[in-house]
Order: sequence, then structure tokens, then C-alpha cells
Amino acid sequence: MNRFTVLGSDIASLWAKYGGMYLGGMRRTLILALIGTAIGCLIGFICGILQTIPVNKNDNIVKKIVLGIIRVILRIYIEVFRGTPMILQAVFVFYGLPYFTNNILRFSDKWLVSIIVVSINTGAYMAESVRGGIISVDPGQTEGAMAIGMNHFQTMTSVVMPQAIRNIMPQIGNNFIINVKDTSVMFIIGFSDFFAIHKSVSGATFLYFPSATVEMAGYLCMTLISSLILRWVEKKMEGSSDYELVAADSLTMTAGTYNISKPKDTQNNDVKTIDREGR
Amino acid sequence: MDEKIENRTEPIISVRHLSKSFGKHEVLKDIDFDVFKGDVTSIIGASGSGKSTLLRCINLLETPTSGSVIFHKEDMTAKSVNAPKYRSHVGMVFQQFNLFNNMTVLDNCLVGQTKVLHKSAQEAQENAMKYLTHVGMAQYINARPRQLSGGQKQRVAIARALAMGPEVLLFDEPTSALDPEMVGEVLDVMNTLAKEGMTMIVVTHEMMFAREVSTQVVYMNDGVICEQGPPQQLFENPQKQETKEFLARYRRG
Repeated sequence: MNRFTVLGSDIASLWAKYGGMYLGGMRRTLILALIGTAIGCLIGFICGILQTIPVNKNDNIVKKIVLGIIRVILRIYIEVFRGTPMILQAVFVFYGLPYFTNNILRFSDKWLVSIIVVSINTGAYMAESVRGGIISVDPGQTEGAMAIGMNHFQTMTSVVMPQAIRNIMPQIGNNFIINVKDTSVMFIIGFSDFFAIHKSVSGATFLYFPSATVEMAGYLCMTLISSLILRWVEKKMEGSSDYELVAADSLTMTAGTYNISKPKDTQNNDVKTIDREGR
Repeated sequence: MDEKIENRTEPIISVRHLSKSFGKHEVLKDIDFDVFKGDVTSIIGASGSGKSTLLRCINLLETPTSGSVIFHKEDMTAKSVNAPKYRSHVGMVFQQFNLFNNMTVLDNCLVGQTKVLHKSAQEAQENAMKYLTHVGMAQYINARPRQLSGGQKQRVAIARALAMGPEVLLFDEPTSALDPEMVGEVLDVMNTLAKEGMTMIVVTHEMMFAREVSTQVVYMNDGVICEQGPPQQLFENPQKQETKEFLARYRRG
């Protein structure tokens, strides 16, 4: 029990002195995760739509070649960024670019680099999720849209994507929560997120374990609140299960009451007459 | 949609030498037929005889392997044709309704008008309400497709197609996915449309409807048009042995 009282008092003193820094780190972590996930989703949507453009036998050769090239590029992008650690991607963008271009191309803004890396990384994951989400929408929806004269873009934006987004909401949430935690690797380029605060605070105070406990609790708080908000958003997207009637349905008829013109069965006809007049 | 115009000289849609293959399987073989303004053409035949594929070829949801679909003298299978624009003139009602699940009943009937025809929101709304009232679904405008019964969904689907102001309306087995008690309400709407002079091509298993409402009946068997003619002739006095057998099966069933 003694251990816990010591830990408690250490945490209290850490918070009293560095609380503002921790909160600042949390704020930066959340902003980075939010922007990175949002841009990543956008990249994912674009990739997903590009990957699912239908190719017809009758299409001209230019369209086929362009689409083919786009698909190869997307494939490479997805495989490379999904298949390498984000920490190394950050190193490659921040230190690698000036290294290869003799300092001509370099990012001085750590925010910018962090956002780019997180976005591109999330985009690679989201591209596959979006593709799955689009495929999971009933093909009848696409046909219904095509039948009223919509082109591929209109079909996607008005009908398929809204339903696909609903299907992949859990994945978007998943990616956001992963990003809240995984942006901690940005300390490698000196971005001062929540985890970087731990490094500097524990370096200054040598209270390594109490600070790590603060971090643990902080990350858990952020992810739990995110989970709750995401659930709420999902529920909102589901829409109301209720709807209001505007008047009475005049066309509903019960079984066996239908006859087209001159019915041979008079009994049926009687039922129908009553039904049509008794509304 | 005024009175049937006795203009039999120029068909709205002509299907010429239409063939469709899926891989090595030839589903449609050299199909020829015409649809004039005000015609109600019923396409009947056993399952797998190519009826639905023919209908889907007419509005280019399937690309014909060879042959042509001529809409007002223009070949729609040509490469230069804007298929979405053509489809906006040819409405389609599906067996599985295919209402947009992410929209309310009203939005289902609005989206095509505003996005494809670029009508103003108010004009689209008035138009949509007119057709929703016509099919008896006006009070359900706030409902979502999943909250409706099959028959109600199909009536909304018909209103959605009508709201586009199509010259021809295609029906792909519109009552086959419905519970028996809901078949009547959909056929009733279709019957009314036919009486108002709407040009319709209906793939159906409802022999009563084909017989009483259509102006011409096409009997398909194994991917070819086996027999076609006015309903009285085809039902009362079929010429081909296959037609007789098919109709006999229906009478027994």
C-alpha cells in the first residue's frame, strides 16, 4: 500500500508542476491524430473511388491505360506505407529528403512533417477499408442510380459513399484511436506530443515511473472519450428508427382483393369496391 | 402522357439483331422487336430464358455483345453515346426495388431530378409529390426504405422512375420479390399508368396482367423470341408448340 501512496504523491507533485505541459502535449497529440485521420480518410476515399472505377470492354484504350497505371501506383503506395513502420517513414521524410536532395528539399516545420506522415500512413490503411466498404454496398444501389441516369461520380457521391462511410465508420474510429497512440513515434523528429513531454519531464525530475503512469492514464482517457464520441456518431448516422406519416394510405389492399379489369369472380370485386370507397 | 397517339410509323425503341453472351453462354440470340409510343409490351417466358437480360440490354445496364438498341433513330450501342443521359429517358423498376437506402422516400424521388436533370429544388419537390401521390405513397415521404413493406418500396421505386419524366418505363419482374398480398397494389399502379398511355416494357410472370393490360406480348424461350403478338392472339390462339406448353403449365399451376 505504501508504494501507492508514494506514487500518488509523486504524481500529484508532477502534475502540480508540469500539468500544463502534459495538457499541452495531449492537445497536440489529439490535434495531430484528428488532422492526420481526417486527411488520411480523404486520401483513402480518393484511392478507394479510383480503385473501384468500372472498366468496360467498350471503353477506349486511353482510359484503360490511365486506369491501369493509376491502379499500379495505388497498389505500390498502399503496400509500401502499410508495410513499413511509421517511425521510419517520419525519419525518411524529415531527414531523408534533405539527405537525397542536398538540403534543397527539406521541411523545417515539424507539425507539417508529422501531419504528412500520419496522413499518408492512415491513407494507406483507409484505402483498403474504403474499397471494402464500397464493395460491401449492394450492387443494386449502383444499378438503381445508373438507371436514373447518374454517372459514376454522381453514383459514388450521392448513393454509394454515404452507405460505404456508414459501413466503415468503425474502421475510421479504429484508425483514429491507433493514431492517438501511434503519433507518439513523432518524438523521433522532435515533435513535442504527449509522449515527448514524458521524455522531457522524466529527464528533468527522474520520476520516470510516476510520469509513465500519468501518460498511461492520459492516453487511456483520450482513447476512451474518443470511443464514446465515435459510438455516438455511429448511432446518429443510423438515423431515426421512427418516421411520421403524413396522411392515410389509400392504395394498400389486403390479400386476394386485386382484380384488373373485368373480374369473373364477383365476390372479389365486392371486396375491392368496399376497399376503394371506404377509405 | 396524353391519349395514345396512333403514330405507328416510328418506334421509340427498336431492338435489332441483339445478342448477348456471358462467356461462352449465349443468353440472347438475334432479338428483334419494336416498341411504339403508348405500347405496353409484356415479355413472358420461363426463368433463364433471357427476359431480364434483354431488358437490361435495352437500357445498357448490360452491354450487348452484338446488335443494336435504337432509341428515336439513334443507335445507343454506339461508342459515342452518353449512356447515363440515355438512361435518364428510360426509367427502370427493379425486382429488388433498389431504393437508395441512405435517403428518405422523398429524397429518393428528388436526387435524380436535381443531380441529373438539374431541376430547381422546388420544382423537383412538386414533381416528386405529384408522383408519390399518384402511387399512394405521399404520406410516407419521411420514411426510409427499410421501414417500408415490399409493395410500398416498389411503389416508391415507380414514383422515383416517373419523376424523371421517362419516355419509356422498363419493369424487371416488379412483383416477383413481393409477398402475394402486396402484388395487387403494385399491379394496380402499373395498370393505371398503362391506361394513362405510359409506354412500358414489362418482364413479368403475372399472366393476368400480361393478358389484360398489354398491347403486345413477347414470349421468349431459350434466348430467342419464340412468338409475339397481341395478347388475345398469343393467349387464346398460340401458334407455336412451345408457347402452348408454356401457357398450359401456367394454367395448371
